Amino acid sequence: MTNRKLLSEAKLWLVAIPVLLWTLIPIYHIFLFSISTKDSAFSGRLWPEHPTLHNFVTVFKQEHFYLHHFWSQIWNSLWIAVATGVITLTVATCAAFAISRLKVKGGRTVMNAALFTYFIPAAFLAVPMYKAMGTYGLLNSRWSLVLAMVTLASPYAIWVLKQASDKLPWELDEAARIDGATPAQLFRLVYLPLMVPSLVAIFTYALLLAWNEYLYAFLLLSHENTIPLAVGLGHFLASDDSPWEILMATALIYGLPPAAIYYAFRGYMVGGLTSGAVKA
Amino acid sequence: MSSIAIPHTASPTPRRGLSTWQVWGLLLLAPYVLVFLVFVLYPVSYGLWLARNPESYRTLFEDPVFFTSVLNTIFFLLVAVNLKFVLALYLSGFFVHERRWIRWLSVIFIIPWAVPAIPTIFSIRFMLNPEWGVINSLLFRWFQIDGPNWLTNPQLAMAMAMLVHIWKALPFWTLILMAGRLAIPKELYEAASVDGATAWQKFKYVTWPSMRTLYITSTLLSLIWTLGDFNSVYLLTGGQPADKTHVLATLGIRYIRLDQLDHAMATIVVALPFVLPLVYFMMKRLSGDEQKTSQ
Amino acid sequence: MASVSFSGIEKSFGSTKVLHGISLDIADGEFMVLVGPSGCGKSTLLRMLAGLEDIGAGEIAIDGRAVNDLDSKDRDIAMVFQSYALYPHMTVRDNMGFSLKLRKDNRKKIAEGVSRAAKILNLDPYLDRYPRELSGGQRQRVAMGRAIVRDPKVFLFDEPLSNLDAKLRVAMRAEIKALHQRLKTTTVYVTHDQIEAMTMADRIAVMNEGRIEQLGEPLELYDRPANRFVAQFIGSPAMNVFEGVYSQGMVQALGAYWPCEVKAQEGQRVAYGIRPEHLSLQEGGITAQIEVVEPMGAETETLVKVGGQNLTMMTHGRSSVGPGERVFLAPQPAQVHLFDAASGRRIG
Repeated sequence: MTNRKLLSEAKLWLVAIPVLLWTLIPIYHIFLFSISTKDSAFSGRLWPEHPTLHNFVTVFKQEHFYLHHFWSQIWNSLWIAVATGVITLTVATCAAFAISRLKVKGGRTVMNAALFTYFIPAAFLAVPMYKAMGTYGLLNSRWSLVLAMVTLASPYAIWVLKQASDKLPWELDEAARIDGATPAQLFRLVYLPLMVPSLVAIFTYALLLAWNEYLYAFLLLSHENTIPLAVGLGHFLASDDSPWEILMATALIYGLPPAAIYYAFRGYMVGGLTSGAVKA
Repeated sequence: MSSIAIPHTASPTPRRGLSTWQVWGLLLLAPYVLVFLVFVLYPVSYGLWLARNPESYRTLFEDPVFFTSVLNTIFFLLVAVNLKFVLALYLSGFFVHERRWIRWLSVIFIIPWAVPAIPTIFSIRFMLNPEWGVINSLLFRWFQIDGPNWLTNPQLAMAMAMLVHIWKALPFWTLILMAGRLAIPKELYEAASVDGATAWQKFKYVTWPSMRTLYITSTLLSLIWTLGDFNSVYLLTGGQPADKTHVLATLGIRYIRLDQLDHAMATIVVALPFVLPLVYFMMKRLSGDEQKTSQ
Repeated sequence: MASVSFSGIEKSFGSTKVLHGISLDIADGEFMVLVGPSGCGKSTLLRMLAGLEDIGAGEIAIDGRAVNDLDSKDRDIAMVFQSYALYPHMTVRDNMGFSLKLRKDNRKKIAEGVSRAAKILNLDPYLDRYPRELSGGQRQRVAMGRAIVRDPKVFLFDEPLSNLDAKLRVAMRAEIKALHQRLKTTTVYVTHDQIEAMTMADRIAVMNEGRIEQLGEPLELYDRPANRFVAQFIGSPAMNVFEGVYSQGMVQALGAYWPCEVKAQEGQRVAYGIRPEHLSLQEGGITAQIEVVEPMGAETETLVKVGGQNLTMMTHGRSSVGPGERVFLAPQPAQVHLFDAASGRRIG
């Protein structure tokens, strides 16, 4: 390599290394804690003296006060995430089809209403949502969180699906109509197959949104049977001498699925994100 | 009369009356409309109704916690959002370089955004623990300094909360700005090179003019969302010590905890004059782009 | 196979009127071409026939039956789109069989229908491929195959050859014409290319700004254009038209006297039209200067300047003159067209 190339490569590395460190240090720290024993965790070391998997065993066997409901919590997280994904996908796909392809009356108004919900910070909606769920008698039912998440995820989902759908040529619909398609046939046989990548991206988005959610989860669900893992983790903070290394082990388990799903679907997600959020 | 170009890909004119197609349209739109009415319109209306009592506001303004929160929020917004975007702008330029290892790095870089807040923010919280946290331990071991009380000094704690926010939100915005950069045709840069432009001049005369709108729109959107960033503060400090590190987002929840729903709503209403114009602006932008691209 | 009729069709988009009372009768089995510049309303008219646009006023009838209120799928028509509109996620076979599948025909019938159409269009080797794997010409044939499978009463073509390169266009023109001769289905074909219109149509309707300028057989339009617009639209290269004054059997224009056989009123302002192939060089006549000579092999197109205006001349074989030379133009008087300068209507 010529000197000039070497210099520019070095400049890139100069940026890359801090970025890498900055990004990974908190992640590494989780990992570090999760494989440490109680003593070495607090010794401030960079690598435990005796790395152990015992913490994970404790978690899986629910062998601690805060962990008694670990498996039911993880099950709740999963249930809520999948339910949110499925319902959001259904609601958003139908709405996007109606607005984009069927050009239904009032479509623009609904789209604007959805955008409004998307832009308003979720934390602001939390307070009224909490009160409303109480009124509906849904507090402490898993459905309250599912429906709240669907409400939060749908606007973005509809927006992304509408954008993707608008890119499909009009003549396909016209050809299908002339071929004799009913609206249902158009939806099922032409629209859905062509939207598959976006559908995957949206499902993943809603799934991760629900799995990662904390605020709404702890506001709406407090009963031991219904709380998802996120809230369970929050309980650890109740006392000062909680077993932090076990907390980190649990947290690692909690954080792995989103990381894995994100990695698996990163192609779909990046495309969906950048086309949906803001236009250049 | 000038000739009208009727675009071939224009949408068909809406069919007359309630044909099957219109009925289907309404049916398919109904689920979301239902969701919106039941879980947005009603709660928001009810919430606003709860916030109707002027007494709530008087109590609010007399509460010192409220004022600290407002100051914290303003500071948080000004510093965190702008710092985040300057970094995002810089890094977006870094990540568009076409190298395999940079692409791998970008996959890793997204992790903070993709993984849930609790594990990561707790992790940072523990790193910052003054007694046994990794940071202070290392500071002592390597430099013999007694590290500061990261989370019990209100100013430091706010600074840490901002860093946490940036850590989590930076990847997303970097991606967005990257997309903006990639939309700039390479030929512009090549022409600038031929014209003798330096790297800085290329940025000033080619990159920035193309990115300016996206940058500003994104910043505004981020202002709205950062205003609602509950996790960064709550999971790091919980608003402590002594409720001195609250922001408006966490303050609202604090009032719920104290069973003072009307105060909670009042807190949110107070922020609305700032939020609503921004939301309106964002919606106009997106609908405006809609009109342009559908012609 | 069926007749098609448009009666008093009007249409507006918002406040802009795009069709001003179009009436047109298409006979059973006829190949009718609607041709005109973009924005003239030809596509709108076609789409109204297809049921893709609402009718503002007037009636459209297929086989004597009014179809205004019928949905596209009930009109028994098939349409070939400019961009082919093939379903990208289906194979050629599925694309062609789609309409039958929607009608819930059994598999045997669908296979028969598809195979019949495939044979006619030589699509057998492509049946299991996807549209993205095909060239433009092949896709166009698949689009036509899809239309044939339905065995409709009327074929509608919306500028199907616009996306193809020149050579392919020529080949496809012949194919479509051959198809029509074989199937004898009534066809309504929209294009902006007058060559397509001339070569393929039984009759042509030249449209401009929402009105039919002339309706007739191709050669009729060529030999006796009803107005200036049609005269300059039909024929390539376009007819030379310039304005002058008629006086005593000649037209005074561009500083010269031009012969003609048609009689107009003395002193009438007229537009003088002469096709490029009816101009030639003689020993004496109207003085002109050669601007550009474009040898095309079998013919030569020459640009000449008369009285400050450029005229096009088309001659067989090669040219012996070069740019800058002074020559004498001689138009064939029998082939001269005169139009009223104000209204553009044909005189005589």
